[in-house]
Amino acid sequence: MPVVEWLHALEQTRISEVVRESAFPYIEGTHVLGLSLSVGMIAWVDLRLVGATMRTRPVSEVYESVQGWMLAGFCLMFVTGALLFVAHATKAYESVFFRAKVAFLLLAGINALIFHWTVNHRTTSWNDAPVPPTAARMAGLTSLVLWLSVIAAGRLFAYDL
Amino acid sequence: MVWSALQPVVNWLGGSALGVWLGQSPTRIAILFVVHLTGLTLLLGGTIVMSLGLAGVGFRSGSSAQLAREIGPWRMAGLALAIISGFLIFTGGALTYFEGQWFRRKMTLLLIAVIFNFSWFRTVTNAPDGRFGPWARRLTAGVSLLLWFGVGVSGRAIAFF
Repeated sequence: MPVVEWLHALEQTRISEVVRESAFPYIEGTHVLGLSLSVGMIAWVDLRLVGATMRTRPVSEVYESVQGWMLAGFCLMFVTGALLFVAHATKAYESVFFRAKVAFLLLAGINALIFHWTVNHRTTSWNDAPVPPTAARMAGLTSLVLWLSVIAAGRLFAYDL
Repeated sequence: MVWSALQPVVNWLGGSALGVWLGQSPTRIAILFVVHLTGLTLLLGGTIVMSLGLAGVGFRSGSSAQLAREIGPWRMAGLALAIISGFLIFTGGALTYFEGQWFRRKMTLLLIAVIFNFSWFRTVTNAPDGRFGPWARRLTAGVSLLLWFGVGVSGRAIAFF
């Protein structure tokens, strides 16, 4: 079955109907304010990696302080985002902004995974360095730019709805 | 009432060249919303981190005053972005926004949040350790979170109710 037909079927489901017709403001509101816990938390790790803030704190301390909130935030974003998608699946699929958002999300995820696999915050030699080495700063900057792009594409997509 | 006293200013703003220019173009408003959300992310993310510091959750090295010095400028930059973009968004649809009850609630809460922030919240976060007990600090953190998230929630409500 082609994707568009499958998405049409998705929009016929009860859950899609409920989100579209009554729950949308609450789910969308949660998705927007969830920015504070997701991007709003990872941004501090990124800014620390760039060397722009909290230079006297170990990178591991910043990461561990926000980790739990950040993971909860990204789970919240994923669940509310999935529900919003189900409500307007076809429009989302056809929107260039939605496609850009998914692409930026994937890139941000890949950037985070590479960083996670190659660096162990606790044991790394630059954990206490006020300004981490170039590779780490690039990872932080890349993450900041990608998450800003996710926000921008997401907000512009909402204009298409 | 205070609101009716502001009506002439709102009329002037909405009819000004800037107001007309912004109101003409959904694209201009969409870009301003991206800036608004970026500001929100920094402001609310920063509020969460400063509240965690006040409540003694995470960020173990250094005092809450030190954390406030590190996070504060970014958080204020977020507030500035949100206020400037918010003012411009308002200008692009001044008369309609001004009539909305959620807009008025949002502005009232924003005023309370700003006053609380620069009086009590600042006093407690900048106080030397031990000056305020753990419960006073937690309560301050909780009130701050409620106020700033209240601003966010009522902001989202403008779009829907």
